[in-house]
Amino acid sequence: MTERISLPLKLLAGAIFLFLLAPSLVVIPMSFSDSREIMFPPRGFSLMLYREYFAGPEWVAATIESTIVAIGATVLSLAAGIPVAYAIARSRLASVRIIRALVLMPMLVPTIVFSLGLYLYFARIGISGSTLALILGHAVHNLPFVTVVAIAGLRQVNPNIEIAAQVLGASTLRIFFSVVVPIIRPSIIAAGLFSFLISFDEVVIAWFLSSPRAMTLPIKMYSSIQWEVSPVLAAISTLLTVLSLVICVIGLALREKEA
Amino acid sequence: MTNARNPPAVSAAVMPITGSQGDERRLARAARRASPDYQKAWFSAPAALLIAGVFIVPLLIVLFQSVTRDSFSLEGYQRILGSTLFWRILQTTLEITVGAVLLSLLLGYPIAYFIAQLRPMQRAIAMIVVLLPFWTSILVKSFAFIVILGERGIVKSMLSQVFGYELATPLMFSRIGVMIGMVHFLIPFCVFPIVNNLLAQPPELRRAALIMGASRRQAFLRVTLPLSLPAMVAGAVMTAVLSIGVFVTPALLGGRRDMMLANLIDYYTREALDWNMAAALSVLLLGVSGSLIWILSTVDSLDRN
Repeated sequence: MTERISLPLKLLAGAIFLFLLAPSLVVIPMSFSDSREIMFPPRGFSLMLYREYFAGPEWVAATIESTIVAIGATVLSLAAGIPVAYAIARSRLASVRIIRALVLMPMLVPTIVFSLGLYLYFARIGISGSTLALILGHAVHNLPFVTVVAIAGLRQVNPNIEIAAQVLGASTLRIFFSVVVPIIRPSIIAAGLFSFLISFDEVVIAWFLSSPRAMTLPIKMYSSIQWEVSPVLAAISTLLTVLSLVICVIGLALREKEA
Repeated sequence: MTNARNPPAVSAAVMPITGSQGDERRLARAARRASPDYQKAWFSAPAALLIAGVFIVPLLIVLFQSVTRDSFSLEGYQRILGSTLFWRILQTTLEITVGAVLLSLLLGYPIAYFIAQLRPMQRAIAMIVVLLPFWTSILVKSFAFIVILGERGIVKSMLSQVFGYELATPLMFSRIGVMIGMVHFLIPFCVFPIVNNLLAQPPELRRAALIMGASRRQAFLRVTLPLSLPAMVAGAVMTAVLSIGVFVTPALLGGRRDMMLANLIDYYTREALDWNMAAALSVLLLGVSGSLIWILSTVDSLDRN
């Protein structure tokens, strides 16, 4: 398909790309405004809004909470997702096919339904409103993404390498830790980064599970958008966009490297 | 024993044949346990534990809660199906979903087609442009759209300053705002399957059509487009599933009349504190999205055959 691309298609695609980028293109310049009034294009240039974000104890606390939750959820979802990806990619047992369907299910069940379930469940077992509750909820939410990325990584690996290790007498456990994990390390890092970002940005589960003592950044942003539309949001949004861009580019680069 | 069964394809083929009676069955079971397939299956244990404990149990609690008001009762379902509020919100949800899915396909197809024609390096950059909104927080996007579409926002002030036109229609906290936010959120989910499909199409088919005298337009309409239909269906169902359960966009960009099913569940859970109603609604929502996924898997298997 390497013919010349027609002009109307170029223009149309350009307009749609502009629409896709519009939020970032608006938010980034606004974050450097020197007035508290929300306007575009901003007059003047200053780092006032960034200072306000980093000096606001509530914003900092929410950012720290989100970081803790995202790291916890990522560790848990990797610990569960990488081994299960190995089982799915390499074992032909019928039960593994059922496990595969179950592991991918959180991606298909509406998040609001899962969130309500967690809300009722954690209230019963007495951990509602805690950081642990958020970590557990996000770990399950991220599990399908981690597993899918890891399976894609495993598909690139020649299984004969593992068979060679087996012939040489390595146990399945040894093969997993000494052969499989090192080979698919780029996929594992990519999966971990994506998982961190998904959890860091997640709103719906956190909306049902957070409390004043465990409030994540998205929830703080959500109430700020709902009640006051504070200009600090522009600075936070810019930082989040940069975070997404960095993770997206690293993720792509890691997958290129592996392929 | 284990090494002899090495090629997994062989072991899978052998297994069902053995184990017809008594001893043979026991022997087969022992062999299975020693087989690498069996040992590797154990690696699903942590995930199975997590899914059982933090996914299956919560969903069962929702199911249980949906039929429990002090004791077993179907009152929750009866009250929902009998309330005009529910039917109105269901209608809103379906209207927004259908509109958002069609618009996302309409806007997603041209850029997918454009991306598929680029050289690999350019394609990678174009994909980043699609991936960035995909990975951008929904709150960042909502905040940006409030700034763009609000009463004193970019669109309205530009219209009045450049064209001297005062647009009276509210763009924000209205159906238009929800649609714009939803379409922005859903476009990437349409682009990915369509790009993959277009790149996988054998280029000879299109070239054959052109050599046989078809115009570029005819070649597109009669060859490329029909071949990409399965990807469009996959994109449509995926976006429909996402859109039917969407919560943040209608809450932040919509008005009171743009409430969707997820917002109603939230209302019953946190404001009305009626968990029975919230759970019954959730089960209904799960049913709707489950049927959509079932349609997707049917189409998907048709596509493979």
